[in-house]
Amino acid sequence: MKDCANYSVIGKRLPLIDAVTKVTGEAKFTGDLFVPGMLIGAILRSPYPHARILNIDASRALKHAGVRAVVTGKDTAGVKYGALEHLRDEAALATDKVRYIGDEVAAVAAVDEETAREALDLIDVEYEPLPAVFTTEEAMRPGAPRIHDHVENNVSLSLHIPLGDVEAGFARSDFIFEDSFETQCVAHCPLEPHISLAACDGGQIVLWSSTQGPFYLRRDLSLTLKLPSSKIRVIKPFVGGGFGGKREMTAGDFCAALLAVKTSRPVKIAYDREEEFSATRRRVPMKIYLKAGVMKDGTLVAKRCRVIADGGAYNGRGPMIVASGASQMTLVYRFPHFLFEGHHVYTNNPVTSSMRGFGNNQIRFADDSMMERMAKELGIDPVELRLKNVRRPGETSLMGAKVTTCGLPECIEKVAERGGLHKKRAQNGSGGNGRQALLRGFGVASAAYISGCKLFFEHDSSAAIVKLEEDGSVCLLTGASDIGQGSNTVLAQLVAEELGIAFEDMRVVSADTDTTPMDLGAYGSRTTFVAGNAVLAAARDAKKQVLEVAAERLEADSADLEIRERWICVKGSPQRGMTFQAAVSAALNSPDGKSIMGRGYYNPPTDYDPRTRRGNVSAAYSFAAQSAEVEVNPETGEVRVINLVAAQDCGFAINPMATEGQIEGSVSMGLGQALYEDLVMEEGQTVNASFSAYKIPSVRDMPPVESHLIQTIDPEGPHGAKGIGEMTLVPTSPAIANAIYDAIGVQIKSLPITPEKILAALKEKRACS
Amino acid sequence: MRRPEPLEIFQPTSIREAGALVKEKGPGGRFLAGGTDLVIAVKEKSFSPKYVVDLKRIPGLSGIREEADGGLKIGSLTTLREVEISPIILKRFPFLAQSAAEVGSVQIRNRATIGGNMANATPSADVAPALLALEARARIAGLNGERVVELEQFFRGPGQTVMAPEEILTEIIIPPANPSLVGEYIKFSPREMMDLAYIGVAVAFVFNASQKLCEKVRIALGAVSPTPMRARGAESLLEGQVLTEELAEKAGAEAARECKPISDVRSSADYRRDMVRVNTKRALLNAAAQRPGKWTERRDRRY
Ligand SMILES: Cc1cc2nc3c(=O)[nH]c(=O)nc-3n(C[C@H](O)[C@H](O)[C@H](O)COP(=O)(O)OP(=O)(O)OC[C@H]3O[C@@H](n4cnc5c(N)ncnc54)[C@H](O)[C@@H]3O)c2cc1C
Repeated sequence: MKDCANYSVIGKRLPLIDAVTKVTGEAKFTGDLFVPGMLIGAILRSPYPHARILNIDASRALKHAGVRAVVTGKDTAGVKYGALEHLRDEAALATDKVRYIGDEVAAVAAVDEETAREALDLIDVEYEPLPAVFTTEEAMRPGAPRIHDHVENNVSLSLHIPLGDVEAGFARSDFIFEDSFETQCVAHCPLEPHISLAACDGGQIVLWSSTQGPFYLRRDLSLTLKLPSSKIRVIKPFVGGGFGGKREMTAGDFCAALLAVKTSRPVKIAYDREEEFSATRRRVPMKIYLKAGVMKDGTLVAKRCRVIADGGAYNGRGPMIVASGASQMTLVYRFPHFLFEGHHVYTNNPVTSSMRGFGNNQIRFADDSMMERMAKELGIDPVELRLKNVRRPGETSLMGAKVTTCGLPECIEKVAERGGLHKKRAQNGSGGNGRQALLRGFGVASAAYISGCKLFFEHDSSAAIVKLEEDGSVCLLTGASDIGQGSNTVLAQLVAEELGIAFEDMRVVSADTDTTPMDLGAYGSRTTFVAGNAVLAAARDAKKQVLEVAAERLEADSADLEIRERWICVKGSPQRGMTFQAAVSAALNSPDGKSIMGRGYYNPPTDYDPRTRRGNVSAAYSFAAQSAEVEVNPETGEVRVINLVAAQDCGFAINPMATEGQIEGSVSMGLGQALYEDLVMEEGQTVNASFSAYKIPSVRDMPPVESHLIQTIDPEGPHGAKGIGEMTLVPTSPAIANAIYDAIGVQIKSLPITPEKILAALKEKRACS
Repeated sequence: MRRPEPLEIFQPTSIREAGALVKEKGPGGRFLAGGTDLVIAVKEKSFSPKYVVDLKRIPGLSGIREEADGGLKIGSLTTLREVEISPIILKRFPFLAQSAAEVGSVQIRNRATIGGNMANATPSADVAPALLALEARARIAGLNGERVVELEQFFRGPGQTVMAPEEILTEIIIPPANPSLVGEYIKFSPREMMDLAYIGVAVAFVFNASQKLCEKVRIALGAVSPTPMRARGAESLLEGQVLTEELAEKAGAEAARECKPISDVRSSADYRRDMVRVNTKRALLNAAAQRPGKWTERRDRRY
């Protein structure tokens, strides 16, 4: 373990760099921006789950007073966009067909929102309704209506990954377990819905968007607008949460840009909450068939996993999410034989795509639920069973992940020990006053995750510039996207530490495709790891330059100098020194007027083969375990999570408070996904598209969360740090599910675990015994 | 979501003026109190009233008064927050205060009125079961004077009441009650706050704690029929009886039999019925275990 005491800025519990700006309301989100002459746009959405567009007539809308322009699918020229070329199936506005209720058909720009919304009613679209399919079973049935002409049986991607010899593995096993699990569709629920504002400026389109990655977005805009990327500038203002839902270009981004070009006026398009719930990306629901072979002593031998994913109407990132589930399944626990079969299936439901966890949540719910049943039926302590099979440092997974640091064993031990304490305390207790005693249970689950990956591009790069200013302050320019997770803070801490200055000396300018260096965006838990290494490289470059200047002044060798508390001096002789500010100023005021700027970039060393989907997909892997303790009311089926312990191998916590913030936020999301959240569908229509009908946990439902940061100091991470943003969420719902299983003695294999399901399960159990 | 049509809004200063406005403007208008139901309906459910008549400029419609006979009068514009923290209500009918406290959040309760909760006539309105269990009445003012109806007769169906369009609910009247009256309201919803009731149960009875004898038993249910309802069968099982766990269980089963729930996105009808059974029992036993003038903490009510 590194000696963290020597750090002065990193490893510290600092409030976010923009905390005051946000709390005072000074922070400007896209919705707060106003450009003179701005028009308001609105999007016309399909009322049909599946229909052919025969004709669109916008003439009535265009005649409506206040309407400035209308765009339709024709304006897209049918250009398809998306991450990987061979999976592109979606145009920015529907061209030939609509494929889900909410599919974007046209957009209007008008003088105000009321006029824009009115004009939507005046666009006459002639549809020919087509038969639709809403479940993967219906969609895969021979003769089912084809949602995309080029895809048979609506299976957009099938994966078959055999590793080892799974049948031989089963034959050799003492016991076989088999089960099927189902995960539901949930919404990201960012506080800020999707919003875009475009304006033409000096031959460029400038787009402010609530996005997780402006460089990514610029690429999709360049593709769909058929403009060189130099003609597009994307700026990410403050963003009110994304959780994976703001990774992809939206019709709003495209239409705002196109309408701005057409009208020569700025255009803003904001989705309302109903659009946010019913027409934006959502989590991929999966049916997971799992078979596992295990020895008497609990050693895992073989696993077979078949996944049917409801992708909705378009691919989005869905196929990669299925693939990601496979690779991570081999990462958490060790076993020699594996067969993965995955199908990504089109249906006429809204599009399912990226969401915090990227396929892991679904797989881990199934896998850790099965581990729990195995433990119970083999009579092995569930914690012991996990520790027996747990991933250890230095190993390579079946899919080729080269694990360097791995704190999973410590994480599991920690949550078992801490959670277990509470368990003992809670075992007694009876109902009283006519109550049946509450049932208490305790459950554990694990997770593993990448720190960035090359699934989408040839590179996974990030770049940074560190500018040293004459007053001794430092400005960091980074392409990384702070969407509320705190990356600007963590990156500023890294620079301040490297340069030996104070955190208060830092400013960060980020996520603007023209003024900041590139970064692919906030996804894959990559920012701290990838952008962190990039800013470190830039800071080191700047430090080298400033020390050279100081060395000259101090008549010392720059290798002998250090910077501490804004003071540059010869190591060991603090009196032989000068201030950081004086050195920067001296450089600028020297005859050659040297303005010090450090440059750096980082591209993780990985080797992944996208065809076989094998190899080392990430340069580091983080691990986590959580334990939950629940009380179940046997009369009503209500569940209360009374305690949650989370242990997180984050490599090194650059800002422990921000790390804990990620964990606590995750627990609330995971709690919702375990117990309450579910996008209820009826014939392709989202029934509960509002916060009053779609239930996320309230403050009162939150359990106390105890966080433990396990610091494994990864050799590749910036000061040993690894990514954590997504995986903190992954173990929450399986841990709660396992605790409920422990409490009631019946395993519920579909999420969310509602009181109604629990009561039905208890009744069945009573009937059987 | 569509933007509302431009609205004509009136702010009369007397009941007579308000009623006359409605008479003159014709059907399709709405009164406005706190707006926590009406504004949502306009913004999110594409409801467009022809015009809106704001009641908040009319003096004398809010406040809680204790009558000489021991009864209570609650003005229709009294906010649910006022009901929740009112010392008189907390002392006399703590479970009524607590039922108000179950609504939405503090911010919502600072606007939401008791009259609005009744006049909106949602089957799940949280304050309705407690008022029904107290045999409250509604004072209604129209152009031709006033009338008083039993609250039980006030509700006609989801969103329907006995009031004519120009009539205004002015006051909720709670008749005098025996000092040994105990009660309880349980809102059953898996999320602990900001949730609509899957079911609601209010019980009130005069309780002789030493002999465990129940009299004047009133049980009212929410969210399990087109209107908030009394469970008279369950009441009669308990009337004049010694309250035991078995009897409470039986009364719960009877209430479950009497109610007429539907299945919706929140819950199935069967589950609702079962929750009526469990929570009626729970409410009866909780009420009996309480000292008058106290309320059960939220978590202890259900668990
Ligand atoms: C976020 C949120 C959460 C909520 N949670 C709950 C909850 O948990 N439980 C619950 O029961 N309710 C809940 N509600 C609903 C609402 O707050 C209550 O029903 C409230 O009491 C309505 O009162 P109001 O004054 O706001 O009514 P308004 O919206 O002003 O009026 C409602 C209706 O009643 C009519 N009306 C109002 N006053 C009178 C009168 N004096 N005479 C004649 N007609 C009248 C109006 O014309 C209108 O049709 C919630 C609402 C929101 C927005």
